[in-house]
Amino acid sequence: MRHQRREFLKLMGVGGAFTLLPLDLARAATPAAQDRATYISASAGDHDDYYVSAFNAAGKILFEQPLPGRGHDLGLRPNHVDVAAVERRPGLYALILDRHTGDVRAKLHCPEDRRFYGHSIYSNDGRFLYVSENDFEHQRGVISVWDANDGYRRVAEFDSYGMGPHELHLMPGGDQIAIANGGLHTHPDHDGRTPLNIATMEPNLSVIDRKTGKLVHQASLKQDWHQLSIRHIDVAKDGAIAVGFQYHGGLTDEVPLVGTYRPGKEIRAMEAPDTVQVRMRQYCGSVRFDASGQVFGISCPRGGIVTFWDAKTSDFLTHIAAPDGCGLSATDRAGEFVNTSGLGNGWRMDAIRRKRVELPDDSHKSLRWDNHLQRIAI
Amino acid sequence: MSRYKLGPRLVNHVNIRKTHMSLKFCWRTTSLLTTATALIIISTAAPKAYADIPDEDYRPILEHLLTTVMPPKLDALNDATVDLADGLTNFCSAPDADGLSDVRGDFHAAMDIWQEIQPWRMGPLVANGRDQHIEYWPDKHGTATRQFRKLMFNKPVAFTDPVKLSEASAALQGFPALEEVLFDDAHSDALISANEDGVFLCQYGSAIATNLVAITGELRDDWPGFAEAMSTAGADSMDYPTAKFAATDLYRALHEGLLIISTQKLGRPLGDEEKDAKASRGESETSKRSLRNIHHNLIGLLAIYDGKWGDAGEEGKGLAALIDSSLLDRSFRLNWQTVQDTLADLPPSLTELLDQPDGYQKLVDLQGQIDFLTTLVENDVGGNTNLGGGFNALDGD
Repeated sequence: MRHQRREFLKLMGVGGAFTLLPLDLARAATPAAQDRATYISASAGDHDDYYVSAFNAAGKILFEQPLPGRGHDLGLRPNHVDVAAVERRPGLYALILDRHTGDVRAKLHCPEDRRFYGHSIYSNDGRFLYVSENDFEHQRGVISVWDANDGYRRVAEFDSYGMGPHELHLMPGGDQIAIANGGLHTHPDHDGRTPLNIATMEPNLSVIDRKTGKLVHQASLKQDWHQLSIRHIDVAKDGAIAVGFQYHGGLTDEVPLVGTYRPGKEIRAMEAPDTVQVRMRQYCGSVRFDASGQVFGISCPRGGIVTFWDAKTSDFLTHIAAPDGCGLSATDRAGEFVNTSGLGNGWRMDAIRRKRVELPDDSHKSLRWDNHLQRIAI
Repeated sequence: MSRYKLGPRLVNHVNIRKTHMSLKFCWRTTSLLTTATALIIISTAAPKAYADIPDEDYRPILEHLLTTVMPPKLDALNDATVDLADGLTNFCSAPDADGLSDVRGDFHAAMDIWQEIQPWRMGPLVANGRDQHIEYWPDKHGTATRQFRKLMFNKPVAFTDPVKLSEASAALQGFPALEEVLFDDAHSDALISANEDGVFLCQYGSAIATNLVAITGELRDDWPGFAEAMSTAGADSMDYPTAKFAATDLYRALHEGLLIISTQKLGRPLGDEEKDAKASRGESETSKRSLRNIHHNLIGLLAIYDGKWGDAGEEGKGLAALIDSSLLDRSFRLNWQTVQDTLADLPPSLTELLDQPDGYQKLVDLQGQIDFLTTLVENDVGGNTNLGGGFNALDGD
């Protein structure tokens, strides 16, 4: 793999940072026009105060809804005002908020023998909410199902077919759910966050039928890489899945941190050039496909960079520095993303032209932006 | 308090909290003083707020460390590999026991300076796998041993050519491969008697040394461009938008350098318990210098904090320039020196140490001291320099 990287660098005629332009996308990378979307994310203040906050494309804060504890990602109900804010692991609550005002519309309580893991998605018809959870006594992951048309009643629970399920997404068509099973066992008696099985962890990527809960596909990395926790994923319109790993082995171990997956095939591991790979610090945060579905971004908050990849060729494209940047959302333009930082910054990033522009309104700097960012198109 | 019961706050005005927020809940507050060795504790356990530091204050530190301190060390590394290559040439022309001893001395000299540079894991040091080509370690799967055995069976001529060798497996290049040639007792007689194995080993060793000259020369030549990019960090840079962000890479090198010593250089040979201890899992143990490596790692790491590295640089111009408490600065230095003093009392070889009745416990104690330094770096250095990491970096999910 190292040889391949070297050859690729030679091909590019550069030794450090570079951008390989997917030619069919280059024309689309025009300066951003007025983006009328709303961006929404979990956030924090300076005093252990937590929120769901929304801002416009300029970075102007639209509302802050206080949360009882630290949030994580947000699930958007299609064609509806509902937004699901599930507490990060080991979470006990989830709030259903109005995406325009932040008003609390419903509250979900986690069963005593389960803990929420911060991520959720809705079915395409908006009726069912799916939440990743930990069945900690039985050391297995589950996906709970809540009926939004029936006051968010918990109506079913599926096996996630792995330990420590984290991010989940609908597959194209909406009948299947892709689940990143991180492989980590945690227990509330041990703070609910500390991994208890690093030596034996077995992460996997599972695809289940969302109506029956049956396993449809499953893939794992090779045994040497079993300490690569599969935590964050995104799904393109054509069914390609981009994957970000978090490594629980040695700091200097040479392991891939990014992969792509098509159900029924193997997970294809990808590496950046060494200077970038080292700066990823063995840890990926958010994963997002762009509007075209060809480019995906992966934020690496420990290294303070966002990396960009070509899903078609599995090539590394470029990286852009973003101190403590983690939240990542695609705009409606190919190759363009919005990235938010735990230091309060927000940027618009163009992966094709390798540009980073700070959001102009300073009000968004009043918060620490948490791990994930969602875009609500108008 | 159920804060979610509060109504949402619609924000129609600019509401700027402190942009560079206090990092107070970011720092681990528990000391990790796991060693019986008394260490000086000045840092307070309670979390505290740290003052903002203007971005311009980071710039002189970057310039000093990257353009004044590091370049002469890279020169020294390259010079040491030249001496090593020359020494091998001389030895191979008329091999004898004294000559082998001399070239082993050249190896140690080059390894000493490499171990000081090794923790600066950034830019040209890691580009194109350079650090791994200089030293492939840790070798968790025993790749080097397996490939070396095969090499000695086939004795391919290509491996006596430095250029062709540079395209070979990293496990067969660099210091560990040369260490195998020069220090494995099984090869000493062959080298000195210049039999078939000895001639091949000499030519292969020379090729390794010559390749090291080339790699360290590239490293030296590539460094100024990287240093320039770091030192001129600014909003237009896609790599280093602020001087503070660039300085974070130096802080990380300091922090991770200590973590690597604890978890890999000490943790691997220590194992989970005494009966699992294995000196051969240590770094450079074939040349019996695992602990000597750590002594030199600490020299290179302290330079990041101190700003002075042997004859290069100036005291107080590293990250220490941002520490506004002389007491804390003195404490940090004293604790660092305590670890170096501990190492000075230990043999350079892990094998020798673990052969002592209380050797395992001494190694555990050393690891505890390193872990305590890590805590000081996280709490005191990271906190006072504002370089320790942000909300997502420190506690992501």
